Amino acid sequence: MVSHVIPKTYAEALTVLKAGNHRVIAGGTDMMVRHRAWAGLPPLFDKPVLFAFTLSELKYVKEDEQVICIGAMTDLETLLHHERTPALLRQVIAIMASPAIRYVSTLAGNIVNASPAADSLLALYALDAQVVLESTSGKRILSIEKTIVGPGKTVLHDDEMVAEIRIPKTRFTHTMFRKVGGRRADAITKIGFVGCATVNEGIIRDLRLVFNAVAPVVVREKSVEALHVGHSVKNVLSDTDTLMHHYSEHIKPIDDQRSNQHYRKEAALRLARHFLDTLA
Amino acid sequence: MPDIHQSVPKIDAKEKISGRMTYVADMRYDDMLYAKTVRSSQAHARIRSVRVPTLPEGYHVVDHRDIPGKNVVKMIFDDWPVFASDTVHHVGEPIMLVVGPDKRIVQTLVDAIVIDYEPLNPTFSMTDSVVNYHYDKGDPASAFKAADTTVAYDYETGYQEQAYIEPQGFIGTYDDERIHLIGSIQAPYYVKNAVIDTMACDPDAIRVVQATVGGAFGGKEEFPSLMGCQLAVALNKIKRPIKLIYEREEDMDVTTKRHPSKTRIEGAIKEGRITALRIHIGIDGGAFIGLSGVVLSRAIIAATSAYTVDNLDVSGDVYKTNTVPNGAFRGFGAPQMIYAVEMFFHHVAKHLNVDVHDFRLKHLAKQGNHTSTSGLFRDPILMPEMIERACAMSDYHTKRKAYANPEVYKGIGMSWFLHGCGFTGSGEAEHIKAKIKLEKLPDGLVYLRVAAVDMGQGAKTTLMKVAAKTLDLPLERIRYENPDTDLVPDSGPTVASRTAMVVGGLVARAATKLKKTWIDDEHQVIHEQYVQPDYVRWNQDTFTGDAYPAYSWGVNVVEVEVDKTTLEVEVKHIWSTYDVGQSLDDNIVLGQADGGTAQGVAYGYLEVMRHREGKLLHKNMTDYVIPTAVDMAKTTTELYNNPFALGPYGAKGAGELTLVGGAPAVALAIEMAIGKRVHAIPATPEYLMEVLHHAND
Repeated sequence: MVSHVIPKTYAEALTVLKAGNHRVIAGGTDMMVRHRAWAGLPPLFDKPVLFAFTLSELKYVKEDEQVICIGAMTDLETLLHHERTPALLRQVIAIMASPAIRYVSTLAGNIVNASPAADSLLALYALDAQVVLESTSGKRILSIEKTIVGPGKTVLHDDEMVAEIRIPKTRFTHTMFRKVGGRRADAITKIGFVGCATVNEGIIRDLRLVFNAVAPVVVREKSVEALHVGHSVKNVLSDTDTLMHHYSEHIKPIDDQRSNQHYRKEAALRLARHFLDTLA
Repeated sequence: MPDIHQSVPKIDAKEKISGRMTYVADMRYDDMLYAKTVRSSQAHARIRSVRVPTLPEGYHVVDHRDIPGKNVVKMIFDDWPVFASDTVHHVGEPIMLVVGPDKRIVQTLVDAIVIDYEPLNPTFSMTDSVVNYHYDKGDPASAFKAADTTVAYDYETGYQEQAYIEPQGFIGTYDDERIHLIGSIQAPYYVKNAVIDTMACDPDAIRVVQATVGGAFGGKEEFPSLMGCQLAVALNKIKRPIKLIYEREEDMDVTTKRHPSKTRIEGAIKEGRITALRIHIGIDGGAFIGLSGVVLSRAIIAATSAYTVDNLDVSGDVYKTNTVPNGAFRGFGAPQMIYAVEMFFHHVAKHLNVDVHDFRLKHLAKQGNHTSTSGLFRDPILMPEMIERACAMSDYHTKRKAYANPEVYKGIGMSWFLHGCGFTGSGEAEHIKAKIKLEKLPDGLVYLRVAAVDMGQGAKTTLMKVAAKTLDLPLERIRYENPDTDLVPDSGPTVASRTAMVVGGLVARAATKLKKTWIDDEHQVIHEQYVQPDYVRWNQDTFTGDAYPAYSWGVNVVEVEVDKTTLEVEVKHIWSTYDVGQSLDDNIVLGQADGGTAQGVAYGYLEVMRHREGKLLHKNMTDYVIPTAVDMAKTTTELYNNPFALGPYGAKGAGELTLVGGAPAVALAIEMAIGKRVHAIPATPEYLMEVLHHAND
């Protein structure tokens, strides 16, 4: 059995983290499943646990002119209904898991869990989200891409926790979100896609294509996107094969119990192509 | 009492909905111990040695050496060991129980047991036949010789998991030299009889009581006999209360599932009609035969489903593989065959380039026709009007024309089907010999003493209604407690769509007798026993005669839309018409219809289970995807009244019928939407992507 701490304040939480080797639990919707034990026995945690979900200091949604700031312990159901939540993020949250799970799960938990199939990460990657990490020694602000380095792997230090998620305010003329799961609700993603674009007088001004569940981390290739910005939609659509070829190198899905690599790859590329078609 | 079909509140609804109902996992005794199963990690291996750590005081292991009687679970084919002795045949095969008071320590001991295996060559392909059946009808050889043309197609179906809400479990006590088992079970006497053999004891030494069952779907027909035998051996050794409850993953990993199947159908066609069929179905039995032979019987008897074909050559095999044993599941072999036959009729019509609907109607079974096994369809068949009604409700004909355009990615599919009610052939008369008792106490309360289990399907409510209506008493005067083998005679297992028709029939007869002989303030007991209708003749060796005393009939229409980009299937609406004889309670039958259709349609397009080298890949409710309320389409269902003379108030079977047509209906709808033939279910987006790339037409 391991010990657990339920801190009263955020400052106390950071102090506990500094002192020991604690695992932080937000909503616990992944951790409690992963560490489940025989019914009636306590979960099998391998480290002491810090329960952060009760930290009301970290439950907020604020904004200034450029950025929306989401406190790390804000649950997804709150975000789903919050007027400041970016529309794309809200669209993603709406089909995530089940209502019961949404009431306790958090963006911070999704980030640290770092599943390549996490739905919310699609929106966070597309929206250039930044993650504020904090310890008693101070804050670090990292892009979402820099925060997550592999399946279940982040750059968080042992004494750090996620304090806030910052999402720059961005407008697009076109967005598309598609999740392909085993069923229409309460399903883990087989493959997911978000496309965002701004098209002005036939010219692509901004293009973002994001895929999940197709590689060890969420795929967004800014260099490929950049190749197409400034070009006409017509031009891009006349040669989608090249663009698809670029993504083909990065979309390397696996066979597992939920789907197979052939389907995942093809469905991912078909979705991207479908999104591009909507720009015309 | 009003008309029998008029719904009453289900008598168990309040307790279940409010959460007050007690299930076996909720029960506890003082001094209770917990049991956990040690299982094989190998698909096929010889056990060289088992190293058990030193057990703390009060902890025990129980294995094959503790079995006083036979190390076999008594079923139809007695090949299933209670505990593996020297060889294991599938991953998850039980080897021993670890029993003790503290779950943590029990788990630690389970983890510390080291088993040394000598690997043997496992078989995963359907090559090793252990049961083979064959029958003919008419003269198939001549019909094939005389044919204008012949067509052959292959079909495949996958596993299906029952996915009952409540995992399997038992609690047992040992008092006064008697073993008392309480479990989540469908067949109290199957458990009792199996335990008697394993314990080699007097029948009176075993008492089996059904705990409230949180869903079963066939999954609690034969499997609980295995757990019951193991627990009885443990109780006999340790003599203290023991609880053996499976966790969800353990349950999904090791309990019986629907048999994967491969079917080849060859048709002889003359003058636009199918004159003969040659059918072979192979089912994957898993490591032990268990009930697989009986499942195979029902599958081959369903060879022509709702059609009549005069000449048949039908055969089937159960193949043994080193995988989890497969077994009973709502439909019991019929869903696999009916899927294949329905697809085949469509594919032949397409091949002949004739209208599918007209082609099917030409072959529809009629009263007076011979069944697949050369028996007789004696009773009226309402299918023509049920089909017409289903077409009208769903606007089938307009839609199938509109959806013929491959650009719309929409489809509508229709299945026609029947289900034989009760045990196959002479099973009721020769094996089950159902007995019931109606007991009237001096206070005027009437107790139904039957072994039938209410697993959510409404058996209690419907059988109590039958008794109340016949006795002309209010429902409150009827009592029906969970079966206890000390109190109820063996009215048979709660399986095979037999409970309403067979057990309900006995209840009605007993109630009629009681009413005639009723004496106020007296204790009266009425006994009743099943008598096979004398016209039912069955030859089990040749598979000829009346396989069932009665048939229920159904039509499903399923409309789908397929996403052009991802090939995900959305089921838009399901329309159904059913003939279950006389409904004993409309809401209960409609509940069966919605649940059965959901399970049947999902079998066709959604529910995926596979194994890799004998290890199941889908063993929790996250990975094994069943429909949620969001996935489930709106249903419109109409019931047709077609009373069966020997059923209570005319009732036939309703439980399985509603499942068997779902898969072909959805598969045909998908086929229309994508413009390619579907030869395997579940028709997942992954499968459809493959079909789009590789298949013709």
